[in-house]
Amino acid sequence: MASTKLDIDNLLQRYLELLDEYTQLRAALNTLQSGIYHDLARANFSAERGIRYGLDYYDDRMQATRKVAVTATTTTAPSGLVPIFTVSQTNPAAKTPSSPAPAEPTTSDLEEKEPPKPQKHDPLRWFGILTPMPLRHAQTQAVRAVEELLPQLATVSAAMADVELAVRRARKKRAKAEAAAEKAQQQQQQQQQQVPSREAARSSQGEVSL
Amino acid sequence: MASQADYKDRQFLAVIGDEDSVTGLLLAGIGHVTAPPDSQKNFLVVDAKTDNATIEAVFEQFTTERKDIGIVLINQHIADRIRHRVDTYTAAFPALLEIPSKDHPYDPEKDSVLRRVRRLFGE
Repeated sequence: MASTKLDIDNLLQRYLELLDEYTQLRAALNTLQSGIYHDLARANFSAERGIRYGLDYYDDRMQATRKVAVTATTTTAPSGLVPIFTVSQTNPAAKTPSSPAPAEPTTSDLEEKEPPKPQKHDPLRWFGILTPMPLRHAQTQAVRAVEELLPQLATVSAAMADVELAVRRARKKRAKAEAAAEKAQQQQQQQQQQVPSREAARSSQGEVSL
Repeated sequence: MASQADYKDRQFLAVIGDEDSVTGLLLAGIGHVTAPPDSQKNFLVVDAKTDNATIEAVFEQFTTERKDIGIVLINQHIADRIRHRVDTYTAAFPALLEIPSKDHPYDPEKDSVLRRVRRLFGE
């Protein structure tokens, strides 16, 4: 019983540490996103009349250059695997199952395409060649949010869910143990009550026989 | 328990948000459109005209139908519009995160993770 209580305390301690991490990451993400929105507003404000950096300029054939990778670790808690999310830059030219099959390369294609230009898939290019500085700054902050904060938040959230599960299991176990202990105590009390009553019955029988 | 088959192909981030939120995240290079004829996007720009059924359908698509999405990001004020779906979402993959938007700052009271915390401590 005492060990179960200690387990729950340890789990809750771990949970509060994760919660602290989560709130810190949240605060950092809020600051970063405020910066992104501020920079986008500045870019739109300084843009030529009628230009808004948004939906109208998105490339309909865009390919992701930053992708998620999920790995799993076994935890000390009995709930199994906890995923760890990471986001990193990948080469969009690398063939993915969803990308279309490339056409047969010709000599002129090879001359043009090799080496692959890393800027080709830069989303900034959707908005023109000479993009304003605030837009570039917004991109820098967005990259930081996507590569650092968002995967960390997802990882911490998953870890919290795992500890929640472990706490619930431990509480259930403790409740069962308490119920079993109470039942045992009641049985013991009943037995103790039965013993004196039998002795009294015997003594009364003895008096009658005399 | 999560098996490797559940997460090994999940490589994209998806986003449901207002124009500025989506633009900001797409600038980081998370946007992806699959090959035609499907041409499925991993983002949805929500404006005043977008109805809740569309948001719900895209949420369903990102969380249930598509197996290539690892993290779904949704603006908190849009999550409020389909709160019943967001709060009952419990799957490990894809991970779901609510993010603030330009006009609606982050409200911890509405965050589904912090709601779970309150439930655990019996509030």
